[in-house]
Amino acid sequence: MLNIHNLSAKIDKKSILNGLSLKIKPGEVHAIMGPNGSGKSTLANILSGKKGYDISGKVSYENNDLFNLAIEERAHKGLFLAFQYPLEIPGVNTSNFLKTSLNAIRKSKGQKELDALEFLKIVKKKASELKIDEKILNRQLNVGFSGGEKKKNEILQMSLIEPKMAILDETDSGLDIDALKIVAKGVNALRGKERSFLIITHYQRLLDYIKPDFVHVLMNGKIAKSGCMELAEELEKTGYEKI
Amino acid sequence: MIENLKKTFESFNKKFISWPNNNRDKFFNKFMKMGFPNNKIEDWKFSNFNNFVSKNFKSLNTNFENLTSFKFDKYVNSFDHNKIIFINGEFKDKNFGNEEKEKFVCSDIKSFGEHLRLTIEDECENSLNLLNNAFYLDGLSLIIEKEYEFKKPLIIYNVFKTKKENNFFNQKIKIKVGENSKIDILLLNINLGSEPIFLNIYNNISLKKDAIVKLYSSSDLGEKDIFYNFNSVDVLNNSIFENFIFSNSANFYKNEIKCSLNEKYSSSFINGAIFSQNEQTHEIKSRIEHNDENTKSYQKIKSVLDKKSKSVFQGKIFVSSKAQKTDGYQLSKAILLDKESEFDSKPELEIYADDVKCSHGSTSGNLDEDAIFYLMSRGLSEFEAKKLLIKGFLNDAVETITNNEIRKYFSSKIESKINEYR
Repeated sequence: MLNIHNLSAKIDKKSILNGLSLKIKPGEVHAIMGPNGSGKSTLANILSGKKGYDISGKVSYENNDLFNLAIEERAHKGLFLAFQYPLEIPGVNTSNFLKTSLNAIRKSKGQKELDALEFLKIVKKKASELKIDEKILNRQLNVGFSGGEKKKNEILQMSLIEPKMAILDETDSGLDIDALKIVAKGVNALRGKERSFLIITHYQRLLDYIKPDFVHVLMNGKIAKSGCMELAEELEKTGYEKI
Repeated sequence: MIENLKKTFESFNKKFISWPNNNRDKFFNKFMKMGFPNNKIEDWKFSNFNNFVSKNFKSLNTNFENLTSFKFDKYVNSFDHNKIIFINGEFKDKNFGNEEKEKFVCSDIKSFGEHLRLTIEDECENSLNLLNNAFYLDGLSLIIEKEYEFKKPLIIYNVFKTKKENNFFNQKIKIKVGENSKIDILLLNINLGSEPIFLNIYNNISLKKDAIVKLYSSSDLGEKDIFYNFNSVDVLNNSIFENFIFSNSANFYKNEIKCSLNEKYSSSFINGAIFSQNEQTHEIKSRIEHNDENTKSYQKIKSVLDKKSKSVFQGKIFVSSKAQKTDGYQLSKAILLDKESEFDSKPELEIYADDVKCSHGSTSGNLDEDAIFYLMSRGLSEFEAKKLLIKGFLNDAVETITNNEIRKYFSSKIESKINEYR
């Protein structure tokens, strides 16, 4: 699904990623943990196409060279990034945005675009599954949302779009325990043979609910150690310094 | 241009000398001394009006006899409304459905203009107002009795389709609203023809105690049209004046408003959205006078500029020494989509009372790159993302409209303008 080979990235001549390699197969759930500044968010940003990085190395996504795909093409081909800090966009109605986004992706796949009624039916069902207050659908996108609402809104978008490869960038930070469970439930509901996840987190907490298949430790811009769930538990006890 | 205008005036004045307004030549002579405004005048420092006139017109002509009348029927169909129709500057028709006819008097000015007798002191510092006084022939007079709330909004269709011999239009709109009465008005200026027009409208609106007037304005004018819209508004005790302008067409458009909050608890809301393109110059200038205690004013202007256009906001909040507990707020925000566009902002506060709350802010910048990235990561193309952000940015001003039907009208109007945008 996603094959990252020897990826390095600099921003303003400062090295952030230093030869990172990672393979994710269809259906796998990978977690990346790491201390502040280890390059976790940079990895997520580069995969989804954010500009401003000086990049070398290779990333292939479903046999495409990822760097040849525009930001929106990556989304059309099923790559999704749940933002660590979802942006507030004044004046743009949340429900309208969700519909525009979903229809842009449907259109790219040659599927029929949903009309307002069809969309509303789906979004209401998904929102209630994620225990999201319907009222936020009529508010301006992320404007005045609480931290939890913003993160849940990201998961709502993920469950609407049903991506093939979802990257969750610290979706758990700022969530209380109830919201954390709901988010994990949302992710688990989407798990399947064809769908992969890359979960970026500081803490083991989220992983207790979304049992990953693999856990990687990112330090100084590359994978310092890989393992399974036990590695996360070990890190929780010993911290990153021992790695 | 000025010499040509003199000829136009002389033949015009001969024709209409018998008309109630017999001071035309005084106004015109005063105008001749001042000329068209240029950027040496403080109020016009950001736009050299003179240049727009000479660039777009070889001559200015007012010739009511050569009217080619036509039938206009492209009415707004999204909501029921009362109608007034002007064709080429002339009052043609009105339809007030089932409003209570004894509660108001609505007439043209041509046949009923006696009460508009003007003195030379009126607005004598503004040469375009002088020109309006010299040349106006028709317009609207709407006088509303006390205790009457209109059931439906009124749309004034000010429609043009004209020839070169008739390209200069001066109109007056006078609206008096009695105690505890209420009216919502949408003024639509539409040029269906291909000849450029110079439109100069003078609006005079007065609100008695506890009245509410909502005045909204939008235009579909041609790419060489010039439009100057001056509003003088007087607000008395506990009355509310709400104003929204959407400015998107005409080569030059300046909307100027002088709003006087003359008695306690009166308030005004002046908001606008500007989407300028193709070397247009669009300007909103406001002067809000707080003349008594506990008066409130609110202004929000959002501008989006592209393709070598220019937009200007000059806003002044004046607080007299008597106007304690004034609450004045003003915000202007602009987004520039290309490097050759220019946004000028001149916010001013002039305060003579000591217990007031006044604030103003002005920002300009580009679209937020992070927001574009966020939207693109959800499958929108860069252009779709930009359009959505522009829509959102302007919608923030549209949200201030308190008439639901008219808010929806502007929202979809702006949406379709943005969809047309390339």
